[in-house]
Amino acid sequence: MTPLFLTAALVLATGLFAVGLFGLMIRRGILFQIIALEIMLTGPALAFVAAGAHHGDPGGQGMFIFVLVLAASEVALGLALYLRLGRHADVSDSDTVNLLRR
Amino acid sequence: MSPFFALLLVPMPAMGAFLLLGLGPAEFNRRAIQTIALAGATLPAVVMLPLGAYCLMGTCDGIQPIFDLEVGPAVVALALKLDPLSALVGVTVTIIGACVIGYSIDYMAKSEIADLRRYFALMNLFLASMLCMVLAGDSIIFFLGWELMGLCSFFLIAYHVTSARAIAAGRKAFVITRVADAFLLAALLLLFLEAGSVRLDDLIPAGIATDDVRRGLIAALLLAGAMGKSAQLPFHTWLPSAMAGPTPVSALLHSATMVAAGAYLLARLAPLMETVPLVMAVTATVGAATALFGATAAVFQLDVKRLLAYSSISQIGFMLLAIGLGQPEVAIAHFVVHAIFKSLLFLSAGDITQIARGTTDIAAMRGALRARPVAYLAFVAGAASLAGIPFVTGGWFSKEAILASAWLAGPFGIVLWGVALSAAVLTGAYAFRPVLVGLIPVKGARMTFGGVFTNLPILLLAAGTFAIAPLVTPMVEFLDATVPHPPLAVELVGAVAPFVGLALAFAMTFMPRISRRVAQARRMRSGIRIDGVYQIVFVQPFVALVRWLTGQRGSIADPVGTLPVMGAQWLVGAIVRPLAHDPLDRAWAGFASATVRAWGVARHVQSGRVRDYALAIAVGVALLLLLGWGTTWR
Amino acid sequence: MGLSGAFAIWAGALGLVAMALAITRPNVVHALIWVVAGLISLAAGFFALGAGFAGAVQILIYAGAIIAVFIFVVMTIDSGDAALARERVRLGKGWKLPLVLVLAVLAPVALSLPGGGLDGAPVAVPAQRLGALLFGPWAVAVEVASAMLIAALLGARHLARREGGQ
Repeated sequence: MTPLFLTAALVLATGLFAVGLFGLMIRRGILFQIIALEIMLTGPALAFVAAGAHHGDPGGQGMFIFVLVLAASEVALGLALYLRLGRHADVSDSDTVNLLRR
Repeated sequence: MSPFFALLLVPMPAMGAFLLLGLGPAEFNRRAIQTIALAGATLPAVVMLPLGAYCLMGTCDGIQPIFDLEVGPAVVALALKLDPLSALVGVTVTIIGACVIGYSIDYMAKSEIADLRRYFALMNLFLASMLCMVLAGDSIIFFLGWELMGLCSFFLIAYHVTSARAIAAGRKAFVITRVADAFLLAALLLLFLEAGSVRLDDLIPAGIATDDVRRGLIAALLLAGAMGKSAQLPFHTWLPSAMAGPTPVSALLHSATMVAAGAYLLARLAPLMETVPLVMAVTATVGAATALFGATAAVFQLDVKRLLAYSSISQIGFMLLAIGLGQPEVAIAHFVVHAIFKSLLFLSAGDITQIARGTTDIAAMRGALRARPVAYLAFVAGAASLAGIPFVTGGWFSKEAILASAWLAGPFGIVLWGVALSAAVLTGAYAFRPVLVGLIPVKGARMTFGGVFTNLPILLLAAGTFAIAPLVTPMVEFLDATVPHPPLAVELVGAVAPFVGLALAFAMTFMPRISRRVAQARRMRSGIRIDGVYQIVFVQPFVALVRWLTGQRGSIADPVGTLPVMGAQWLVGAIVRPLAHDPLDRAWAGFASATVRAWGVARHVQSGRVRDYALAIAVGVALLLLLGWGTTWR
Repeated sequence: MGLSGAFAIWAGALGLVAMALAITRPNVVHALIWVVAGLISLAAGFFALGAGFAGAVQILIYAGAIIAVFIFVVMTIDSGDAALARERVRLGKGWKLPLVLVLAVLAPVALSLPGGGLDGAPVAVPAQRLGALLFGPWAVAVEVASAMLIAALLGARHLARREGGQ
């Protein structure tokens, strides 16, 4: 039997998460880091949907909805923080924003 | 609502005046302070007099509960009580209190406004606490009033806070009465254990019902408490020193409150005392001895106020004598009479000596007849009553009753009668000395009169000394007893006694040889130096102990604290120090400093960089996954 | 595994590649385009897995709305040649250590992947069952999620507000 689709989907999900994590670490621009975080979130989303499909359970898609909500909130807050920080610091490099004070 | 509800209202105005003046946040001007003080002092009399009248008309046995506290199995039932004893004493106290505080308005008029406020607040509290004690229906309120009086007397004796002598006198009064309070507290607690109740109505029967040893102990403790409060031998030393306070304070302290409280205590618990003959005998002996001693010491005084102080000691001795002879009713009659004439004496003497620029020497009385006739004549009235001039003064009737009860008390009583009679003779002598000095004319003296607030109380009390004379017998009968009557010859001897005293006073005043000797009798003047004995027996060993404990005598300072420390230091030197600095210690110390350095390195983990944190989280998650895989692997 | 499963894996693999490209683009606009491409690929995978509702939401909300917000923000920033050059330099410099670290993190994940016995075709789950779940047993969780969205909205508005009033 060729590779099982659920195992393959979980490998893909892990890959997406790893790509996101890798992106988070190699990019310094805050905007890129937010994009990387979004990619990290798609990994679990894929895993949930695939598991739901495997079991024929709507819970997988339900969890996907929650992941989406989380992603939306995170993007909203992340972008707001990005705009706010952009007034004081160099947002193209998150390493410069390493102190709790200005 | 029973009429006894009004009992609650008796101490209220005085207490209210204290709260207003003592604790009230508002500013008051002089007039307001005087008004509040006067209202607080006179309203209790206004409430108490109808109560006394009600009592006189018949139903005179009532109790007004305040509230009950349940403490475990016992019930603390606070209450006020009206019976003939408390009614009579209550009426006396309210009237004397009103007179004295009214008099203070003029007397204290020149003091600072803050001092004035303090003074009147404390006087009102003093009055309120005495009323609480007199009307108390349970031992808690009784003791509360008793203690509050001790506190107030401390503050009032030490009223002149800038004078070290006044502070010392106040402290002395406080400490000595405190010692007596401890005896009273012990007695009341023992009674409470017997009765399981605090109501006086339960305590007395329970005390009588208990066994001989305990009853004797309780009675002895009660006597000790009363002796301390009433400045009886050997506790008398605080009273002459207490003259450091303003004169109206002495007037209140000596007449109706404080010193009389001891006599009242014994009269209140007389049924219990009477069941212990030994303590009764001691009471009578102490009373007679104190009466004689006080009178003797008073004869040699050069200061009017100290003279009156010793006279108070002596007169309270008479009261204790009567109680010891089983005649507490007579003692209370004497208490009433004494309260009137003694407050009168203090107030009039205070008025006369105030003119003499503060000095209270007997010499200051010179020319008083011309200079201050109203006060002088009032003083004469008071002195006559004190000496017991027959038939016209109250003092004669009450003192005669005491002498009679001594005469009728068997062979031992006759000895006491002799002692009391000699005290009565000396009383006449010292009572008339200031009077006779007042007759000596002084050139250039101007006749002056005090204000209304000075003269009104004085005249009222002066009238009272005579008005009370025919009332002594009814008073004793009101208290449900009869006045004892000895043979006529004995009565005549008693009636002659004050005149013998008067003759002695003449001799001491107008015969220079004798008056010089009186002035030189320092030993007698200082009250046979009981103070010195106290100094040697109690104070000096205590001071020596304190000095020793503080290391002033070359000893170790504070041995209780120092010796353990020295022991610990020796232990360190002997055991710990030789064993210190071994390799093990060094290893630990090295570990400690290495930890500090390692921490400095570890701190770099906190870089503040988002990427580093993300990596750390990811590593953590990976480790958790590894753990999960490891634990589920088959 | 069936045809639909195979298609889903193929679409997911395409998405993974697109995402990998997205994180390595120096230009943020290009990166976003690759993200959209990856999301749509994943959505196609969802459709193939029978999760039609998830796929539709992925396209509409994720790729549509959320990325649109990104675009708005990106429009406010300057991404000139200097920025591009800087990003290129950074990308070329520091990628080796993170790669090793990510692989190290992945190792235990790979170990814990399910081995066998998970055979069978994906089962389609219609949107009706999803709705019955979300508005039935999970209603409270949905409410909490909506509250979180409101909180995020208010927080974002507060954070992005210009200082000194307004």
